[in-house]
Amino acid sequence: MKQKVKKKGSWKQILPLFLIAAPGIIYLIINNYIPMAGLFVAFKKYNFMKGLFGSDWCGFENFKFLFATKDAWIMTRNTILYNLVFIIVGTVFAIAIAIMLCELGKRIRVKFFQAAFLMPNLLSWVVIGFIAFAFLSAETGFINKTILAALGREPVTWYMEEGAWPFILVLVNLWKNAGYQSIVYMASISGIDRSMYEASVLDGATKMQQIFRITLPNLKPTIITLTLMSIGRMFYSDFGLFYQVPQNSGALFNVTQTIDTYVYRGLMESNNIGMSAAAGFYQSVVGFILVLLANWVVRKLDADNALF
Amino acid sequence: MTESKTFNRVSTAILTVMVTLTLLPILLIIIASFTKETALLQNGYSFLPKEWSLDAYYYIIKQGSVILRAYGVSVLVTVVGTVGSVLITTTLAYPMARQSFPYRNALSFFVFFTMLFSGGIVPSYIMWTNFFHIKNTIWALIVPNYLVSAFNVILVKNFYSNNIPGSLIEAAQLDGATEMQIFRKLVFPMARPVVATISLFTGLCYWNDWTNGLYYVDNQKLYSIQLLLMKIMNNIEALKANANLMGAGAVSLPGTSVRMAIAFIGILPILIVYPFVQKYLVEGVVIGAVKG
Amino acid sequence: MKKFLAILLAAVLAVSLFAGCSGSDAASGSEYDQVVYAYATFNNIPTEEALDEVEEAINVITREKINAEITLKPISIAEYSQSVSLSLQGGEKIDIMESLGDFNNYLSTGMALDITELIDTCAPETKELVGEDWLAACEYQGALYGIPDYKPLALTPMIIYRQDVADELGLDMDSVTCIEDLSEIFAQIKEAKPDMTPLAIVETGNVGVFNLPYGVDYLSDDYNQPIGVLIGDDMTVQDFYSTDLFLEKAAMVRDWYNNGYLMKDAATTTSTSTELMASGNYFGWIAAYSYPEADTAASFVSQCGGYPLGAKTLDKAYLTTGGTNAITWMLAANTKVPEAAMKFLNLTYTDAEIANLIIWGIEGRDYVLDENGNAAYPEGQDATTVPYTAQISCGVVGNQFIQYLPVGSSYESLEWELEQNRTADVSPAMGFSFDSTNYTTQYTAVRNVLTQYLPGIFCGSVDPETEVPKMIEALNNAGYQDILAAKQEQLDAWLAQ
Repeated sequence: MKQKVKKKGSWKQILPLFLIAAPGIIYLIINNYIPMAGLFVAFKKYNFMKGLFGSDWCGFENFKFLFATKDAWIMTRNTILYNLVFIIVGTVFAIAIAIMLCELGKRIRVKFFQAAFLMPNLLSWVVIGFIAFAFLSAETGFINKTILAALGREPVTWYMEEGAWPFILVLVNLWKNAGYQSIVYMASISGIDRSMYEASVLDGATKMQQIFRITLPNLKPTIITLTLMSIGRMFYSDFGLFYQVPQNSGALFNVTQTIDTYVYRGLMESNNIGMSAAAGFYQSVVGFILVLLANWVVRKLDADNALF
Repeated sequence: MTESKTFNRVSTAILTVMVTLTLLPILLIIIASFTKETALLQNGYSFLPKEWSLDAYYYIIKQGSVILRAYGVSVLVTVVGTVGSVLITTTLAYPMARQSFPYRNALSFFVFFTMLFSGGIVPSYIMWTNFFHIKNTIWALIVPNYLVSAFNVILVKNFYSNNIPGSLIEAAQLDGATEMQIFRKLVFPMARPVVATISLFTGLCYWNDWTNGLYYVDNQKLYSIQLLLMKIMNNIEALKANANLMGAGAVSLPGTSVRMAIAFIGILPILIVYPFVQKYLVEGVVIGAVKG
Repeated sequence: MKKFLAILLAAVLAVSLFAGCSGSDAASGSEYDQVVYAYATFNNIPTEEALDEVEEAINVITREKINAEITLKPISIAEYSQSVSLSLQGGEKIDIMESLGDFNNYLSTGMALDITELIDTCAPETKELVGEDWLAACEYQGALYGIPDYKPLALTPMIIYRQDVADELGLDMDSVTCIEDLSEIFAQIKEAKPDMTPLAIVETGNVGVFNLPYGVDYLSDDYNQPIGVLIGDDMTVQDFYSTDLFLEKAAMVRDWYNNGYLMKDAATTTSTSTELMASGNYFGWIAAYSYPEADTAASFVSQCGGYPLGAKTLDKAYLTTGGTNAITWMLAANTKVPEAAMKFLNLTYTDAEIANLIIWGIEGRDYVLDENGNAAYPEGQDATTVPYTAQISCGVVGNQFIQYLPVGSSYESLEWELEQNRTADVSPAMGFSFDSTNYTTQYTAVRNVLTQYLPGIFCGSVDPETEVPKMIEALNNAGYQDILAAKQEQLDAWLAQ
């Protein structure tokens, strides 16, 4: 038996598999790994004319600015908390949409629903910023001009209302991404063995029981994978969501400042490549550590579903 | 059976509400693009504007044949890119899902790592332009960045692992099939649902991309529609931001409704084409379900 | 196609005839220096064919005059800086480039070539034209790195307003001589027309009140986010936000906001001043322009919904280093043809034909001249349909005074503008550039604090009495004082020279 396993791992067996994967591996090396040389910029005092390798080293100098202020705490907190909420709320909505769409089957309206849910994902953040403004503008916004006016309420200057924005941002993010995310779950649901449902119907299970006993457990691997991947991006935030949608409004910084917006606002004029590389490096390293931890936990509990 | 019907009714009701809420904001900008600029500022954004106008579209149509050509470039890039990407992605994920492949975890890690770390635009730019000379070719819009997405590879790998039984592959091996044959005749056909999914993702990604064009294309003949719209939009923003720097007065800035129209024109083809494409996507998903 | 060729031939002929007249008999050798000229355009990027013709027309001149051939590289304004820096790093050829408000970046990253000697040998005419004072703004540690764009630089803060409303309400606009005088006018408007908002914004988060106040030198900082300023002849770097000048204006804007003189959305709106004006709900806006009052007002009428407009100057122009080197032309540090490049740059400042080819394109195809010598687009064409135009770049390419003016502008105004340039008061720190390379950490933090607080204060939507102290505290936590001290230190060293 042991011998057989070893034999399976022989080069004769492995080589064809490598060859099949070769185009992808070569592409990733060229497109992703070779340019990673650029990560060194984070530790250099970059000079255009000296280039990447000629520039002087400067140690961790470029990283200092990330921690120099007490804003460091606010932006890190915001980045992490929003990401957590997005992961949880986004997953719940995406799964709910996927289950409902799948249950409705092949009807025309399902096609329509699915297309409709995807629409917001096609819009750039700049445009979404305009849409948000069309709703929230103090003077011309739909909410103030039409809804609040109809209710006889005073207009609200939304871009100054700190308290409203955590909800607005979660809502906008959900609006843009839930439909897109649900597609992955739809594919997974359609991969579930139909005979399991048929058997459960014979046992007299209700729809809800089917969902909780068959569908959700079968989605577990997908949920775990997607969550692990999100954790890797935990220290990144969707720049457009936090910059364009609040219209860069200063009054909202306590709830809209994330690491990416801080870096952008600070460096947009000085165009400092070393410092922006340092910020990206820091975000990646922390994300990397978090993923390794999370993956380790998953591996302990349920080895099949670990990413690697 | 009736319970199932109730469930369907409730689902339809909930989905209808959600879809309405999803579409209303988009409808609002479409209407804004047909609203007279001054009415927009006087009366605010509204689903029933006081004055309609086609001015925004006249402004864009003046670009004329450039727009049609850009649509053509976008379609070409999306189709070629998506086909290429699906082939490379599904093959790359295959060994990762094979229990008998000893390096599968290493390979997964190799793929996943690219999701986390990136060297930034400068090294990529130097490499693609100086060593591969893709600047101002159609390949510049297809090859950099999007051909393989780690996210998609991992999705496909997961699908293989969870939905294609190892016993099937072993049986095929005993029949003397080569790895390539197993992949082509057995694994790839079974993977239709996930292929449908990643085609959609990749297609959207190529359709929406303008950054490759921004970095690697100067020639207007190779502008994709998103790049063209982005350039119009960026120019408006830059003009606004630099109006003072320029000290120039006589610059006519296209207004809000033009920007809304630009957004609409960017998604319009997808609104038209999606129902047709969707047929294949849904079929892919459903066939997968029946086979599984 | 035939017609196309005919126009081309005519254009080439016309140009070569002209070039012939200039009497240059430079070497007709087959080898010309190749120079790439990268300029920012606000117009559409032309097709290659259209561009080739313009290049050829330019080359006819440059082959003769400077033994060089030029490649034009128009880049959209929005991606200009990024595109130039990528190209330079990627080893693509760019010999001549310009700064768009980011001159110091080109210096600190080593992209610009030291042209202290080149300018004497290859561009003496330009040196004389632009003058020592302005060139000083492009010096760094004793060496010259660029040539400022030659154009009406003296920006005068003014209010552009609805003439019809002023007439209807009998507003005495002549009595307005400074921004503070506007409070009275706005009060009258608000009383007579409660639905009208007296003041529109000039750009998001900026109502124009703090734009370029007379006597303030921002010492290389963005005028939207000043960090340490000089006021008048006092050579002490001051915290702008503790000065009476700032606090009084902030209190005034807050009053305006409370009285409904300003739009509530000023800090976040995406609309521009002209869009707002076109809606008819606004009386005017404040901004700094380089043209005479009447010209400025006239140039905005069509964009502002056709309402009759007036303009009134609110302050005097004031020239500083930052204002002067905002648009600066430089040679790339890695250029292989520094002399040819410098000579071509010289031509863009001194040769009207070259300047007009770059700005307007080819006569007959891209523009026509009327009896006053003003340029217009050919019958039935406009800026978006002609094969080539970079008309809106008129203020960022070489010498604006030798370009054809568009229809509607008068050549007399040019005289006024030249006079303004000559007579405008100049900051005593003209020529001093602050080197912020060692303070990037503090700058990052300080800029974030300023973006957080300033738009609200500038637009009156927050109370300066509570917010300014908060902001100053946050600034100090962010390392504001370090920057002020460094500025003072560098300024003292510069003065000692």
